[in-house]
Amino acid sequence: MLAGFGDRTPEEVPEGIDSMELAWLVHQIEQRYDRHLDDATLARMTTVSGAVDVLAALGPLTGPGQ
Amino acid sequence: MKVAAATPPSNVGALPLDPSWVDEVLLRGTGAEPCLFLDEPVSRDGLRRLVRTRQTALSSAGLVRGGSVALCLAPSLALVANLLAAWRIGAQAALLDHRLTPFETDRALARLEPQVVVAAAQPVGTGPAHGFYEQREIVTTRPGRPARTSHAVVQLSSGSTGPSKIIGRTAADLVAELDRYARIGGVPRAGQRIVSLASMVHVLGLVGGLLHCLHAGVRLAIPRRLTADGILATVAAGPEPTTLLGVPFHLELLSWVAEPPRLPQLTGMTTGGELVRAQVHDAFVDRYGIRLGSMYGMTEVGVIATDLFGTHRPELTPAPGLTLRAVDGELLIATGQSPYLDHGPTGATGPARWDDGWLHTRDGGEVDPGSGRVRVLGRLDSQVSIGGLKVDLTEVEHTLAALPEVDAAVVVFGTSIEAYVVLREAGGTTARIEAQLTERLAAYKRPRLIHLVDRLPRTATEKLVRDRTALRDAGQL
Repeated sequence: MLAGFGDRTPEEVPEGIDSMELAWLVHQIEQRYDRHLDDATLARMTTVSGAVDVLAALGPLTGPGQ
Repeated sequence: MKVAAATPPSNVGALPLDPSWVDEVLLRGTGAEPCLFLDEPVSRDGLRRLVRTRQTALSSAGLVRGGSVALCLAPSLALVANLLAAWRIGAQAALLDHRLTPFETDRALARLEPQVVVAAAQPVGTGPAHGFYEQREIVTTRPGRPARTSHAVVQLSSGSTGPSKIIGRTAADLVAELDRYARIGGVPRAGQRIVSLASMVHVLGLVGGLLHCLHAGVRLAIPRRLTADGILATVAAGPEPTTLLGVPFHLELLSWVAEPPRLPQLTGMTTGGELVRAQVHDAFVDRYGIRLGSMYGMTEVGVIATDLFGTHRPELTPAPGLTLRAVDGELLIATGQSPYLDHGPTGATGPARWDDGWLHTRDGGEVDPGSGRVRVLGRLDSQVSIGGLKVDLTEVEHTLAALPEVDAAVVVFGTSIEAYVVLREAGGTTARIEAQLTERLAAYKRPRLIHLVDRLPRTATEKLVRDRTALRDAGQL
């Protein structure tokens, strides 16, 4: 998902997530999962590993973007 | 060099700030009329009450006319109320971005020496930025110094020699900028609305958003969530003709919406902070079918030139009353006095930045002799924009080089901030360096990538090379 932002390969994505990437992730999640995440959850998405954990906990896609 | 203005710099000496402008310019107006929307509407009367309450609290903490206060608050109704209260007392208010680390804030307070500090009881957590926050204030009195100048507001910008520059603006200067906004065609007027995405801690959101709206009777709405959905929901919540105010970061964010809802009240968007790439501009205009205007400004001056209808892109028309010229490829602005309060190295903030009535913008540019329009061509120094926030790479480099285990460092910018680092001893790790930078630099200033190398490329005269290709070829560890 992050590699799609800025046309990078997954290997080129740094572990840390910056503000623009976080905004992109939030947008993607809101579109694909059709739900808003609370701040405490989003605050865990400052690294790729943290974002993977959050996405894993969300379960399968239900929104129109799947 | 010819002298641009006759006003002597000493006019910003230690004259006490006259507080009458706050009521006359900002707080007048119909009492029951809402002026701010931060989830809930705030009426003029409500805001006046809030300001009076904060004025009492700040006065109780010892703040007096000619005194100094630092506001370390995130964008919030509390920030608005405390700022206006400080000005209504006749004190000088320094605005410190809430994203600065405690290390940076302490260093700023040590330089500013405010007598009173207003901070938040609970710091804002990590996560996506919000347009505003709930902030409960804690007021602390310190053994600081009264205002040394008559500037009403003091702001810090990322410094080209390491420490931030201290920039001051007088009430008269702010009022002059509000007058410019009133005279620029395309700026929202009374009865209209601005949905501001720009932080009110910085000049675009502060003067172009908050102060202009209070002054001109424009309703100001700020989305709590700065996501595309959050922004568009805030636009949809009001019927008035609405202009979005933000930076290219917000433009990109809105461009991700494949099919935006129909919002007939949304008439335009104005961006400041940095140049908008042509494809981003065109994609946004195609998607939303509204005008997209550009604004060029800086902390020291406020709005300098605009193209609010996108008709002269990439050229901008100087704001009414401002005189610009280009000398040796650099844009200079006529200003009566230096905006800098620093007593630091003059090469960074003194005569080199302001000389004989001309402010050096450090922006490359041209002024068309026929039309008078300006073309901004980019920075001439090491300042970059990260999500609309200015970062001087030299500040990052100095901070990095000052770490005990770092022997030398070069910081460059491609699509993000990257650092090339030589360690003093083998065995150091990027994780250890990142941990120390986390204490010393706000998140938006930190390198996204740190490359450990065994040497940095240098020129024949031993100067560090900042070319990214040469750096990439340096011996990676």
